[in-house]
This record gives sequence, structure tokens and C-alpha cells, in this order.
Amino acid sequence: MANFFDVHANKYTLNVILPVGISFFTFQALSYSIDIYRNRVGVETSLVRFTTYVAFFPQLVAGPIERSTNLLQQFYEEHEFDIKRFVEGAKLFIWGLFKKIVIADRLSVYSDSVFNNPEAHSSPTLIVATVFFTFQIYCDFSGYSDMAIGSARMLGFRLMQNFNLPYLSNSIGEFWKRWHISLSTWFSDYVYIPLGGNRVSISRWAFNILVVFLLSGLWHGANWTFVIWGALHAFYYFIEFIGKKMLVLIGADDVMKKGYYKFIKIIIVFILVCFAWIFFRANSVSDAFLIITKIISFSGQLWTGGSSVTTVLSVLLILFLIGVQILQFKNKVSIYFSKTQLPSFVEWLSYAFLLITIALFGMSSNAFIYFQF
Amino acid sequence: MIKKEISNKLFKDYVKKGLLFLLLLIVLDNGVNYFLLNGLYKYYGLYTDNEIALVGHSHLMLGIDKVKMEKELNVKVSKYTREGVNIVERDLMIDQLLKSNQQLELVVYAVDAWMFTGEGLSENSYKQFYPFMGEKTINDYVFENATFGDFWQHQIIKSSRYNEGLVSGSFRGYLKSWDNLKVGILDTVALNSDIKKGDFRKIVSTKENRKIFENTLKKITQKNMKIILLYVPTSSIYNNAEVGKFNSEITYFKSIESKFNNIKFLDYNELYSANADLFYDRIHLNPEGQKLVTASFIEYLKK
Repeated sequence: MANFFDVHANKYTLNVILPVGISFFTFQALSYSIDIYRNRVGVETSLVRFTTYVAFFPQLVAGPIERSTNLLQQFYEEHEFDIKRFVEGAKLFIWGLFKKIVIADRLSVYSDSVFNNPEAHSSPTLIVATVFFTFQIYCDFSGYSDMAIGSARMLGFRLMQNFNLPYLSNSIGEFWKRWHISLSTWFSDYVYIPLGGNRVSISRWAFNILVVFLLSGLWHGANWTFVIWGALHAFYYFIEFIGKKMLVLIGADDVMKKGYYKFIKIIIVFILVCFAWIFFRANSVSDAFLIITKIISFSGQLWTGGSSVTTVLSVLLILFLIGVQILQFKNKVSIYFSKTQLPSFVEWLSYAFLLITIALFGMSSNAFIYFQF
Repeated sequence: MIKKEISNKLFKDYVKKGLLFLLLLIVLDNGVNYFLLNGLYKYYGLYTDNEIALVGHSHLMLGIDKVKMEKELNVKVSKYTREGVNIVERDLMIDQLLKSNQQLELVVYAVDAWMFTGEGLSENSYKQFYPFMGEKTINDYVFENATFGDFWQHQIIKSSRYNEGLVSGSFRGYLKSWDNLKVGILDTVALNSDIKKGDFRKIVSTKENRKIFENTLKKITQKNMKIILLYVPTSSIYNNAEVGKFNSEITYFKSIESKFNNIKFLDYNELYSANADLFYDRIHLNPEGQKLVTASFIEYLKK
């Protein structure tokens, strides 16, 4: 926040007051305080239980943001070792690790070099980098969440689901019900509803929505790019709201629910979300506008990346992810890629495959350092 | 009681599944290793009947076009070049080549004025040798350099022996793709400025490194092979940064040539080092530079 308000805080002070996961500490502590105020939970008398709740290590770094009504209560339960639960947790952990260090880290090689130097790249390159970043941030964020939920489950704790196939949403409203669920429901429960939610005048409702989206943007970082990202989603939300009302007025809302239109809506929502990610990822607002201007010029050659193997691999990994997500969407496999309809052998082979690819592409210690330059 | 029996059954069931999973993991791990290792052998020209072997680091990698050599000389060439390798690692590479290529007649060993300087070339370059841990000498070398945990992790999980560069190399081996090019022209202003500031790798020859080098040459000589010490040019601006030491290294290579009758020292600095347009950076040639030096080298071999 210091840079945001152009205040130059002492670096030693920042080291003390900004520990890892500060926003998660804060939000979980706030959840406890508000829930006590609302009489949803009783006062926690055990310092050990309270501090464990606030700083529960599996989800401390990247969520999900837990509630005192869910997590704090679990510290009262006895947790016996359960092999079934342990294996399920381990599966989810591996899937999360794969998403983070194989997919997200691979995609970042291309997207980072393009977004860090946008003026040097063409329209097709910037489009590819944006799509790569769209999948990168999802795999990064949801990968951490899955690891957190998985490791907590191995220990016998249930954390809330944080991502539920967000890029297969057919509306912006649905996207926000599927993306970073613990954060969006936190804002909904502790900001939107106390502001009056939708039980107010339309202008006040619009204000409430805008506040929530702007806060959500600011939560990700003290930079105008995040504020614009939040505002853009609020704008999408309003347009969608108006569009739905108009469809009802002309009696076309039922037609839009049919399969073919649903698919088109998924594509449109995906493009809109991709577009908004440009602001989220760009190093500055001016960079974001430069990227958009260059993209709409639709000219130039596609850059194949610093390493063609990495770029080709990135595309293959995205296709693999889409394949798995479609299977999840159709309930062929569950969220942690565990068996629902597939034979047991396929399931275990898939986990062996994930572990091998993690070993192959995820061992950062394998990198060697060439000093020459 | 019933609950306990169910729990035991479930536990046994998961143990069975766990063993199946472990088996699958071992099979898959070995399969991936086998595939990637064979690709690397193809890429580096190991375990083939090649007649010429090129050995060195990125300096040679970007300096000579192996495909052109094979085409114009009608011989098979191993191009075993790895970024940042030091003198000991080059010796290991020579061992691998001698062991795996029985038809070798000529070893082209890339030299430069900085090759005996132990420091400042790379850190942990031994990691590039992980895929070859199946070979005893390489395994011993990795054991000496890696931490205990690192060594055993790579010993047990074979897929973890590869990084992206090695996977890329393996695929390139299968695809027969050996084009090592870096497009661009040396920034002479920046290089002059770096040299003025003293920001460059200094030439430091150690007796130990020279001894390892000479032992390597003796080892090749004992196999009745010819050796060319090839100096792919480095930029004259860089060479002149410590001109006295640079000349002393050249003199050393000439003395080696006179000491062994199967060794020829071929220095392309006089021909090309002053032409900055041929360089990508201070020590690497760009495609145009590679083309010229390869042509000259092929001409020499034809004679």
C-alpha cells in the first residue's frame, strides 16, 4: 500500500509488518471477529486453537480463505488417521502440484518475457501471451489451493473448494461463483450483504457491486492495474445484468439456455476474462493500453518463444488441462482427477504420469547456472 | 470389531493399490528415461560409429555446423558440446566418446584462452551430466559434486535427471536437428565499456587444469587418433583485454602442438576475430560467423 499512496516506508519496518500471507491472516481474523459480532460462533478461549485457525499452515500462503464457522470448529474434533482420506488428499495435492510447477511455471516462461517487454512484440504474440497468462494464473492459483486443500485433507481437515472450472462458465456471474470462491464469498458475506446486497435501490445495488469488485482488485495488489481489472469485471457484470433483463423483455432468455448458445457464451466469457487479465498482468496501466492497442492492430509475426520445446510443451499442457477439465465438467473424473467412471488402472496410471512429469519438468534444482555473461 | 475389520480390509486394499502404483511409477520412470537418454545419445553422437568428434562448450556449439561438415566431407560427426563445461567435464566427455564410438579417427577439441580458468564459467554444470548417471565414471563425478539428497533423488527418480534443455536436446536428437544459432551482432560499445570497467572474465591458467588437459590429450593419443585443437575465434576486443595473458595461452597451445606429433593447433583468431559483425557476443559467433568458420574448417580438413 505504501507505493500506492506514494509513501516510502522504511524497508526494515516493512520486513516486520508484512509477513507472508498477511491478507489471509487478516481476512481469517476478520471472519472470526465478524462472526462473533453476528453470534455465529462463540468466543474462542484457547489461544492455541485461535492461532492455529488464523495461521493454519496448509492454506496460509494462497488460500482458500477459511471461515471460523468451518475451520475453527474442526479443531474441536478428534482426527484419526484415515487412509482413504489420506489418499484422496494426496491425489489432490499431486494434481495441484502438477498445475503449479508443470503448467503454470512452464507458461510463465513465454508470458513473462512478452508482458515484461510488450513494445517488442506483435499482435499474435501478445494474444498468445494473454491466453497463456489466463491459464497460468488459473493453474498457479488453483494449484496452490488444491495443494492446501489436499494437505489439509491428509491431516483430516476439510477446507472449502476454491476453484470450480471457472473457464467453463457461461456468464460473468457464474465465473465469480467458480473463481477464487473463498474470496468472492468472503466479500459477498462481509462486504456486499452488509452494504445492503440487492435489497436496495438499483443505483445503490450498482454501487455495492462496484465496491466489491474494486476491493477485490485492490486485494490482489496496490496498483491501478488491479483496480481497473476489478472495475472491468464490474462493468461486465452490469452489462450482463442489463443484457439478461433485455432478453427477458423480448422473451429470448429460454433460447439462450440451449446447448449451442451455452457454448458460444462460454467462449465469449472466456475472451472477456482473458481481456481483463491483460490489466491484471501488465506491469503498468500504460503497458496494458499499449498491449491492447498492439493486439487490435492484428499485425506482425508470431514469436515462437525463447525455447520452441517450452512453447510447444505449453500448448500441449493447455490442451491436456482443457481435456481434464472437460472430463471433470462431464463428471467423468472428480475434482482431484480421481476415478468416477474410469477404470482403476487408468486412474493410477494418470497419477504415475503426473508424478513423472513433475519430476521431469518441475525439479527447479536441475537448472544449472551459466556465468559467462 | 466389525468396524476394525472393515478398516483393516480397507488398509490392505490401499496397500495393494499403493504397490500397483509404485510398480507403474517405476515402469513409467524407466521408460521415460530410456526414451530421453536415447535421444540424447543421438543428439550428442554417442554410441554411434562416427569418425570425427567435436568436443567443447557453447563456444564451439555455436561455432561449427556439424551438418555441413557431414555433407561436404561425407563423414559422420559427433558434436558433443555442452554449455559451461570445465576441463574435468571435458575429460569425462572424451571418456564417453572414446568408450561409445569405436570408429573415431579425429577428435576436435575446442580451445580458448579462458579454458584453464576454473572460475567464472558456470556453476553446478555437473547437473548436465545427470542423465548419464548410469555410467560409473559419471556417477562418481556427480556423487563428488552433488549434495547427498540431490544425488540420491536423481539416482532413484530417473526422470528428474533431465531439465528442459536436456529434454529439448533429446527431442532434437530424434528429430535430427543440430542448428545451433544465435542471431544478433556483438555490441562493441558495451563490450569496450565492460572491459574499461574491468567487468570481464580474467584469464587465469592453473597448473592442475593444464595437467588434466594434457592427460586428456595423452589418453586420445594412446588410441592412435588425431587431435585438432580448434580455436573458434573470440572477439579481438575481448582478446586484447589482457593481451599479454592471451598471447601466453596461444603460445602454450603452440607448444602442445610441437610436443605431440598427432596434434594440430588451428587458430582462427587472426582471420576473423577483428570482424565484430561475425559475433553474437564476445565469445559466440552468429550464423554468419559460423558459416565462415565452418567453411574454413572444412577446407582445412579437405586438405
